[in-house]
Amino acid sequence: MATLAQAPPSDSTEEPARTEAPRGRWRRHLPPYVAISPYYILFALFGAFPVFFSFYLSFHDWDGIGSMKFVGFRQYYWLLHDSVFWHSIVNTFEIWFMSTVPMLFLALVLAFLLHSQVRYSAAWRVAYFIPNVTSMVAMTIVFGSVFAQAGLANSLLKAVGVDGIGWLTSSLGIKSAISLMVIWRWVGYNALIFLAGLQAIPNELFEAARVDGASSRQVLFRVVVPQLRPVILFAIITSTIGGLQIFTESQVLFYSDDPGTAGGPGQEGMTIVLYLWQKSFNDLQFGYGAAMGWILFALIAVFAVINWRLVSGGDRDDRRGIPLLRKGGRNGR
Amino acid sequence: MSRRRLLGASLGGAGAALLGLSGCGSASGSISAGTDHLTIWYWNGSLSAKLLATSARGVPGARGLKVKGASIAGDYRGKLRTVMAARAYVPDLACLNSPIGDYFPDESEFVDLKDLGADAVEDEYLAWKWKSCVSPSGRMIGFPLDAGPTALYYRRDLFEQAGLPTEPEEVAEATSTWEKYLQVGKTLKAKAPSHPYLVSQIAYVFRMALYQSPKQFVDADNRFIGDQEHVKRAWDLAVETYRQGLSARALDGTPDFNSALSGGRIGTINNAVWYIGGLKDTAPRTSGKWRLTTMPDGPANYGGSYVGITRYCRDPEGAFAFLKWMLGPANQLKSYQEMSLFPTTPAVYSQPAMREPDPFFGGQIPVDVFGPAAKKAPVIFFSAYENTANTPVYQELTNVETLGKNPDKAWRDAMNAAERALAQRGVS
Repeated sequence: MATLAQAPPSDSTEEPARTEAPRGRWRRHLPPYVAISPYYILFALFGAFPVFFSFYLSFHDWDGIGSMKFVGFRQYYWLLHDSVFWHSIVNTFEIWFMSTVPMLFLALVLAFLLHSQVRYSAAWRVAYFIPNVTSMVAMTIVFGSVFAQAGLANSLLKAVGVDGIGWLTSSLGIKSAISLMVIWRWVGYNALIFLAGLQAIPNELFEAARVDGASSRQVLFRVVVPQLRPVILFAIITSTIGGLQIFTESQVLFYSDDPGTAGGPGQEGMTIVLYLWQKSFNDLQFGYGAAMGWILFALIAVFAVINWRLVSGGDRDDRRGIPLLRKGGRNGR
Repeated sequence: MSRRRLLGASLGGAGAALLGLSGCGSASGSISAGTDHLTIWYWNGSLSAKLLATSARGVPGARGLKVKGASIAGDYRGKLRTVMAARAYVPDLACLNSPIGDYFPDESEFVDLKDLGADAVEDEYLAWKWKSCVSPSGRMIGFPLDAGPTALYYRRDLFEQAGLPTEPEEVAEATSTWEKYLQVGKTLKAKAPSHPYLVSQIAYVFRMALYQSPKQFVDADNRFIGDQEHVKRAWDLAVETYRQGLSARALDGTPDFNSALSGGRIGTINNAVWYIGGLKDTAPRTSGKWRLTTMPDGPANYGGSYVGITRYCRDPEGAFAFLKWMLGPANQLKSYQEMSLFPTTPAVYSQPAMREPDPFFGGQIPVDVFGPAAKKAPVIFFSAYENTANTPVYQELTNVETLGKNPDKAWRDAMNAAERALAQRGVS
């Protein structure tokens, strides 16, 4: 029976082997790699393989069962000539802009309020975070009746004397409805991230601002926002990546057995990922869907770089943070 | 044993288990390899659980044959296609929803039922349903499960308020063509006190008028025929319905649709027999007010399923014996009683068990309408590219109806989109 006491001598015997035979070195490094192997085996199977396979797939025509036919760049060619695809890109960016800008602003204000001395602050934080962990499918069904012609949203509008809006039957209505769902879901999450950033800001800065007679507004925009820049960058990048992949909201909102309903009237709610899903899993054009996935990847990469440049580029001058942020939002559209 | 060796051994074990997981797909590809039974996949509601319980113990009349049902929840088609692509864990038999044409490009995945002697029972089944099981190359890849004959569902009370005919025969006469049907719709909307709409959505007028035609969007030679008269006529009827303001413009399944239906703002529905369940669920308070009659311009079929035997099945003869038992006239009758699956064996339509009056329809006997409809439905060919071609058309109909898009422009856009989408798939 081997015991732990044997371990140190075995180390010393391996010492010369490490320089003489590479095989011994390999053996020595094997255990840590084996120890972390469950992660990379699973990642290779369910992460890396699908990624590479989808790339391979994007050059083929495949219905999922039969043989794959190599078509070169045909899928990409069709995609760039597909007006629905372009429409879906525009829709996605419109929804992303309509949701992300108000959402991040709201989240910042919420975080600022939560950071000040309020009662039951823990309860507030939980309350704001709950939408994020709610099933989006279930919530979309609820929102579906809120935004119905005779739904809660229109009843509220009528109560204040405004005519009802075709939430699910007009371009602006559809995009607003989806954006509101996104805001509802993510505002609490981003508020918590901003709050964590806020708590890292040294108290002296707030005190100094107060001594100088700054108002809450001034503290928010002159102290908090510049200090939070890395956190804002993080929030913008994650919400850009998330925003470009909006899917559940419009899929469930307009789901039916009828193939013509995907994306809603005028396909105004058709997002890139919804179109990818529709082409792959409804129309069984997996190669086309894969090509779309790679174009989406390229788009996200480009926007991540743009965001990064705009928000972190102002290191030389702190006051540039906010104008650049605004500019970033405009460009994003 | 040292800790290190213990760790190594357990990790090795985990690794081996992972490898084993990927390696244990049986060589035969069938999910039932090495068991004493065959497996049939179905989605909830597509097969009778009672009959499957019997076949799991032993299929009557087939010595030693057991067939067990596996109910697949969620995305049924996606899961079936996944196991077929993986060539592992494929069921021996699988229910296939319409359109069965989706499987025509991969028809070799299924056993040709004609090789198993299916022709011997052909006479027992509806002719159009039987023909729809056969791919363009002549391979019979599915066996008739249920049918979806259509009818005109109408609100007798609203018709009465509008001074229109109320009894099924009279209504059938008054709505014998789509044009007369739209006339009735105008009267209904003008005279009934609640001003009900004729249809929930113009897409239904288009769909049903198109299903009355033997030709659809793509023919058996993979040619686009969706720009021809049979499609244009259905389109024009749908657009006319919109122009006359006879549509409630409520998309299927939305809360607006549900409230319009239960609130009596929709006077008629053109749909298949399987919609009875959906109607009862959506608008239970309207019980007794509905009646059924022949659809304008005659019956059609909408939906209905099939069962196929996959090429991985180790006992195709046994599987076919099961199909003949499970989907024979006697058991289709039982399935109708238990699950409301409408039989594809017309001989049973006159059986007393099918002639139960339904209080939801004021004591009318539904099979009196659906039975003749099932017998008269046209033979339709659905190609594998039907959905690709018709999706833009349904989308443009929605645009006309909800966004007020110019119908002529919508038609041109729909045709362009359909042709482009088909060209991409090698159909022109």
